[in-house]
Amino acid sequence: MQIENRSGEPVVPKLKCPVCEGSVDIPDDALEGELFEHQECGAQLELVIENGQLVLKLAEEVAEDWGE
Amino acid sequence: MIIGLAYDILRTEEKLLIDAAKRLGHSVKPIFVPKRIEWLNNTYNEEFRELGFVLERCVSHYRALSSAVILEGRGVPVVNPYRVIRDCGDKLVTTTILASKGIPVPKTVVVYNRDKAIEAARELGYPVVVKPILGSWGRFIARATNEDDLLDILDFRESMNSPHFKIHYIQQYIEKPDRDIRAFYVWGRVPVAIYRYSKRWKTNTALGGKAVKADLSEEQIELVIKSAEAVGGGVLGVDLMETKNGENLVGELNAVIEFRNTVQVTGYDLAGDVVKSTVEVFKK
Ligand SMILES: Nc1ncnc2c1ncn2[C@@H]1O[C@H](COP(=O)(O)OP(=O)(O)OP(=O)(O)O)[C@@H](O)[C@H]1O
Ligand SMILES: [Zn+2]
Repeated sequence: MQIENRSGEPVVPKLKCPVCEGSVDIPDDALEGELFEHQECGAQLELVIENGQLVLKLAEEVAEDWGE
Repeated sequence: MIIGLAYDILRTEEKLLIDAAKRLGHSVKPIFVPKRIEWLNNTYNEEFRELGFVLERCVSHYRALSSAVILEGRGVPVVNPYRVIRDCGDKLVTTTILASKGIPVPKTVVVYNRDKAIEAARELGYPVVVKPILGSWGRFIARATNEDDLLDILDFRESMNSPHFKIHYIQQYIEKPDRDIRAFYVWGRVPVAIYRYSKRWKTNTALGGKAVKADLSEEQIELVIKSAEAVGGGVLGVDLMETKNGENLVGELNAVIEFRNTVQVTGYDLAGDVVKSTVEVFKK
């Protein structure tokens, strides 16, 4: 499942930061897997869909096989 | 055309590619690899039939390899293909292929234990560079200026759990200027390149290296093309090192290119180029 619209549909609501519980602005054309840095607390967050809901979770840590 | 984009993390590069595709009148089908369920028995797949090709963009090498081979198994062209990702993802494989085609690479030796590492390094001459065969962004790449340094590095490597750390890829240290070169190969051309300047010997931009637009010589361009063709071409990043006596050596090849810095400092629309020329290749 992806978030469909680049236009038309209502704007994605503000989501809650899992680290500091502050709110995070997500653009309406965001896709699953997109990274956001929460300005307030500095956390690296990843947008995911859980049970049909958009949520932010702490981004995956860099693994040994990451890169070009 | 409908272009697939296989990814695990949506970075600046993926966004640039999506925007470029849309700008050029194509549509994009994002394929979020971490959430897929792939039945390997289904070689025919309705879901992908409409795709002109898939851009493989997973930041995890093993996810890139896996999703590429699965998509190819279903008859979808993938850029870069599985085989190219494999050959560029492992430095031992890349160097072996390049050397076998007569392409100039730093003198490199592979050994499987510390005694042989010491023996080989003596013959190579210090300083030497030890690299993980898998990995990127300069991580775990170390320089030994003498045998003591090398022993420390080997201790460290031999204590790592991953088996690939027990294969020691040891290379002659190249006295290069305070920079190296990252060139981009796109289907037979070299449209853009940067220097990566750094006071450190590791010039990776991920480690603070500064990107500056580079104008390559005919000879360097030819070397980039030859190197990319050695692994089967497509869209690649090719790293060159300039030696003191004016030679160029190929450091490594990258099959899932990172180019945000290049776009930023050169203004070159590399994402647009990649999309446009890949569409040309696969349009029926
Ligand atoms: N033999 C060598 N002598 C001198 N410098 C080297 C040598 N090998 C690599 N370097 C430098 O070390 C840095 C990392 O090398 P390399 O590109 O092989 O690693 P990497 O981790 O795969 O990086 P990436 O994939 O992000 O480009 C580069 O700046 C390169 O110029
Ligand atoms: Zn926060």
